[in-house]
Amino acid sequence: MSLRDRLGRLTGEGTQPGRSDPPGELISELRRRIEEVVNRRPVPGPQAHSGRDRTGIPLERLVTGEEVRTPRGGLFFSRSVLAGSHRHGVFRVGDLGHIDMRSAALLAGSDEIAAFEPGHALFLDTETTGLAGGTGTFPFLIGLGWFEGDSFVTTQLFARDFSEEIPMLCLLDELARDRRFLVTFNGRAFDLNLLSARFVLNRMEDTLSNMPHLDLLHPGRRLLRHRMDNARLTTIEACVLGLTRDDDVPGYEIPRRYFDWLRSRDGSLMEDVFRHNRLDIVSMAALLKHLADLVAGGPGRESAHPGDVLCAARLHEERGDTQTALSMYERIAGSPDSRVAISALRACSLIYKKASRWEDAVLIWEGMISRDPLDLFAAEELAKFCEHRRGEFKRAALIVKTVLEGSRTLSPEERSSLEHRLNRLARKSSAP
Amino acid sequence: MATLSLKEWLQRLESDRRFRENATSVTHIPASEGSYAPYPVWVHKGLKAVLEKRGIRRLYSHQARAVELVRQGRDVVLVTPTASGKTLCYNLPVLQRILEEPETRALYLFPTKALANDQMHEVHGLIGELKADIRTFTYDGDTPDDARQAIRKQGHVVVTNPDMLHTGILPHHTKWQKLFANLRYVVVDELHIYRGVFGSHLTNVFRRLKRVCRFYGADPVFVCCSATVANPREHAQNLLEKEVVLVDESGAPRAEKTFVLFNPPIVNRELGIRQSALTPARKIAGDLIGNHIQTIVFTTSRLNVEVLTRYLKDTFRAKIPGRDHYVAGYRGGYLPNLRRDIEKGLRERSVMGVVSTNALELGIDIGDLEACIMAGYPGTIASTWQQAGRAGRRAGHSLAILIARSNPMDQFIVEHPDYFFSRSPEHCRVNPDNLLILLHHIKSAAFELPFEEGERFGKEDLMELLTYLEDKGVLHRVDQRWHWAAESYPADEVSLRTVNPENVVVVDTTETGNHRVIAEVDWDSAFTTVHDDAIYMVESQQYHVDRLDLERKKAYVKKVDVDYYTDAMTYTNVRVIDGFAVRKRGSVIIEHGEVQVSRKVVGYKKIKFYTSENVGYGDVNLPQKDMHTTSYWFTVPWDLLDFLELRREELIDGLAGLAYCLHHIAAMLVMADIRDLDRCIGDKSGEWFVRYGADRRLITATPGQPMNVMENAFDPTVFVFDAYPGGIGFSDLLYERHDELVSAAQSLISSCPCEHGCPMCVGPALEVGPSAKASALAILGLLEAP
Ligand SMILES: [Zn+2]
Repeated sequence: MSLRDRLGRLTGEGTQPGRSDPPGELISELRRRIEEVVNRRPVPGPQAHSGRDRTGIPLERLVTGEEVRTPRGGLFFSRSVLAGSHRHGVFRVGDLGHIDMRSAALLAGSDEIAAFEPGHALFLDTETTGLAGGTGTFPFLIGLGWFEGDSFVTTQLFARDFSEEIPMLCLLDELARDRRFLVTFNGRAFDLNLLSARFVLNRMEDTLSNMPHLDLLHPGRRLLRHRMDNARLTTIEACVLGLTRDDDVPGYEIPRRYFDWLRSRDGSLMEDVFRHNRLDIVSMAALLKHLADLVAGGPGRESAHPGDVLCAARLHEERGDTQTALSMYERIAGSPDSRVAISALRACSLIYKKASRWEDAVLIWEGMISRDPLDLFAAEELAKFCEHRRGEFKRAALIVKTVLEGSRTLSPEERSSLEHRLNRLARKSSAP
Repeated sequence: MATLSLKEWLQRLESDRRFRENATSVTHIPASEGSYAPYPVWVHKGLKAVLEKRGIRRLYSHQARAVELVRQGRDVVLVTPTASGKTLCYNLPVLQRILEEPETRALYLFPTKALANDQMHEVHGLIGELKADIRTFTYDGDTPDDARQAIRKQGHVVVTNPDMLHTGILPHHTKWQKLFANLRYVVVDELHIYRGVFGSHLTNVFRRLKRVCRFYGADPVFVCCSATVANPREHAQNLLEKEVVLVDESGAPRAEKTFVLFNPPIVNRELGIRQSALTPARKIAGDLIGNHIQTIVFTTSRLNVEVLTRYLKDTFRAKIPGRDHYVAGYRGGYLPNLRRDIEKGLRERSVMGVVSTNALELGIDIGDLEACIMAGYPGTIASTWQQAGRAGRRAGHSLAILIARSNPMDQFIVEHPDYFFSRSPEHCRVNPDNLLILLHHIKSAAFELPFEEGERFGKEDLMELLTYLEDKGVLHRVDQRWHWAAESYPADEVSLRTVNPENVVVVDTTETGNHRVIAEVDWDSAFTTVHDDAIYMVESQQYHVDRLDLERKKAYVKKVDVDYYTDAMTYTNVRVIDGFAVRKRGSVIIEHGEVQVSRKVVGYKKIKFYTSENVGYGDVNLPQKDMHTTSYWFTVPWDLLDFLELRREELIDGLAGLAYCLHHIAAMLVMADIRDLDRCIGDKSGEWFVRYGADRRLITATPGQPMNVMENAFDPTVFVFDAYPGGIGFSDLLYERHDELVSAAQSLISSCPCEHGCPMCVGPALEVGPSAKASALAILGLLEAP
């Protein structure tokens, strides 16, 4: 009996008629369960089938590009140039390359990058056969982008089959050697990891993992997440870059499209994937521009979202650039968004305090209290100042007492800490 | 109160009449001298100094032989008793090689985390004293993400388990490039654990491991350790699929030990009910601990650990106030800190009694206990010795007591001391080429590296299997290579340890808007326990099953209070597809081969509490479950049975009782869990089966067949089959050992003190019918006759 028949028996498939087999519906139960184990792919939806129904349209007719040869074989290569006047969301492509590299270095958390020029950046994004990771996930499309003068160039390397992986990696290696650092969105955890595995699997040198790298996911999340439901690239596009994608292929559908392409060679399956990938690359460039401008805090950024500026200021402060942080806090301290304004004022006052610029700090605290006498932060800071710096125990006690009596939102810990302070102040003020 | 030493305690015990009545065997194992050899000349001075400082001035003869073989690059399986210094057999050559060639890497595999952790501590200790830059890490599900990268790159010795190798390491082998490219040694401890389904999986994991090693140009030496089983070398060769040298002559000295086999007293002779094994365990443990004899008790379940710990704690709380940890429980699920505390308490003798489930869950470094009580046979002779070895590792006299439970396996062991103490009869079996298992691992292997034309993986035709998977759409072939072409992560789809990873969740819907999951039932028992209208019980609360949704794997239940429970009625039908071998013994035909097993739940009985009367029936409409597997079976011709002049019901009861007994003994011989095998009575064509119906056991036809052709044309057949699709390799072994099975069954049933059958021989009398025991013995007479 053939192996296939034996498998058929184990999986309940292909039982021969004529035998006293149990009813078909019953066998299908076993088959369904074993099928689940043998092959856990979801049942293809109607869209996934479309590739087979249509007569395949050659890829070259739908995507600008052609076969290129490398010493180790051919692959499909697409190149397109966006002119400086082209618009991507609210951005003019020609503006994208004007990036303050010190800000880019700050975003990357790597000083190395400050020494480069925007033209050294290699934007990279891959489309893969899955999100599972591991050696069995294949990046079949590698999208790259860089600035050339006023324009932005995207190139896409496509393995039309697994056999074109080596030529694809060769060309990637070659193109990467022309650039100095990488820009990705979640590349650290995903794309570069996968590519690294592919280089090892094909016994090739992995040039990419030694390049300095700016992964936009983390700074993007840090600076923008406060006003978004999630930090996905498409969400950021819609919120920040002013771009909405029509008829974009959903990410989860992409692996399926490639598997169908492998069988049908229908270019229409891939056309949307190329476009999706190209948009991702350009959006990364726009996002880099947006974030770099945000942290640069230079002129022309009066239109920046005050919440974003607040996050950027905090980033500077954390990295030790108090001066820049302070100027950014000061800029949004008068923001109509009162929560942003209060946060900025508090941050300013603490920087002043640390620098012993007491007058400036006190001015802020007093201002805050005159607006809201129950402001716990300002009350505590001002009370501390009066008590320890000025010996004005009575004034300090009055400030504390106002909050204690008036506030309805104190936690038990806050309350007991205030009471403790008040008692001490009472002792001190009655002492001779 | 003066306390007794263990020796005095034993003397007192042996003069106790009631104890003597229940002890089926008291065996004194004398101390023996060790046999030694000097360190090989190549051993690094520093390493030798560290070992000598630990009191190892010379090697045992088996250690010397093993380290020399490993040094020469031979694959070795080491079979020596507990505490014979087997870890040195691999640690020494591994550390030596790392000292010589610092790039060297080694992978240690242990079946449990507790063993892995212990091994870590031991190697750490050695390295610490060596003052060498050798790094050892455990890598398992608990390893923090930020530590993983360092482990991958820097770990000289990586300690892990087969499951992690399967799902976490091999599918990411490129990240482990450094390990695989320099892998010189793979250590596999507790080799005998890897048998049956687990072993069949592991063989395939090793196929994948070797494949990945080949990719990086490595060819590691395997060093395996096993408990005593009948076929250690064969088993190692089956798992590793290469030549392996057996080292089994222990040079370690042996301390004196007394081994008692104990059968609890019978409390109801008619029903053959014995006292629970926990009762004597508690009494004996309490007495030992009361005499300051440090004691470990092994039970067979976590629940029993808790129950017994509680009893013993209560006993000593009054006597020794303020020492809550005088007696402690110790099992998986306890926090590591608590475990470490208990281990320390044992070493310092502040903990004098400990109750545990399994020797493998127990840290090794617990000092030298004096007595070990096993409340229930651990399932194999190998693990019994392993547990017994937890007492008296190096100390003087020690004691081990095995207390039997009321099941055929336990009873057989305590009633047959010769079987227990003679050379191990237990065989480890694997069937790595079980098609379903093989297919899982071919998928995982393809995920790891594309398959090339002409490559081999397992003993089946790989190219045909690859083509099959290509047709299924999970592989893609181009230029004579097969690539993984699916989104999934195949290693996650199969667990190495469980037969069927799917469960049915039981959802309590009593309160609308507050549905709660109250239990999980494994897929197979869901059909009999949570079918529609079943009464399902959790902690004595009754639930009515409103609906079993197989699609969503959920059973919806509501709380009820009724005076009955339900008992599912099933039929099992086995049809022979292909006989692999046949022989005759008299006119009895013995065979093994491939079968189709069909099982269907057809209905249920409502049975009233206390009176056990039938108060109703219901139908159940669940799909039939079919499975192709391998089976051993024998057929007794009708005309031979006719001699016995038994009524048909008596005959069926006898066959059912015999099958029950054979099922248990078979599991014992092949070291299988009782659930890894199953049984059925029928005929070979699958036209007839025995129906455990409403109130009578009948031979009836498969549904849909006419009922009237069943007269004496029926040649009853007893099947014992592998309960895993495709079979796991037990059947041919059982076929070979048919005579042994039959004589063991004869001995067990005839010596059982019950009158009409009991759970210790042919099954509970109420279930198998009053004539089962007598009929089974009569049928056995036919089987034994030449
Ligand atoms: Zn009995």
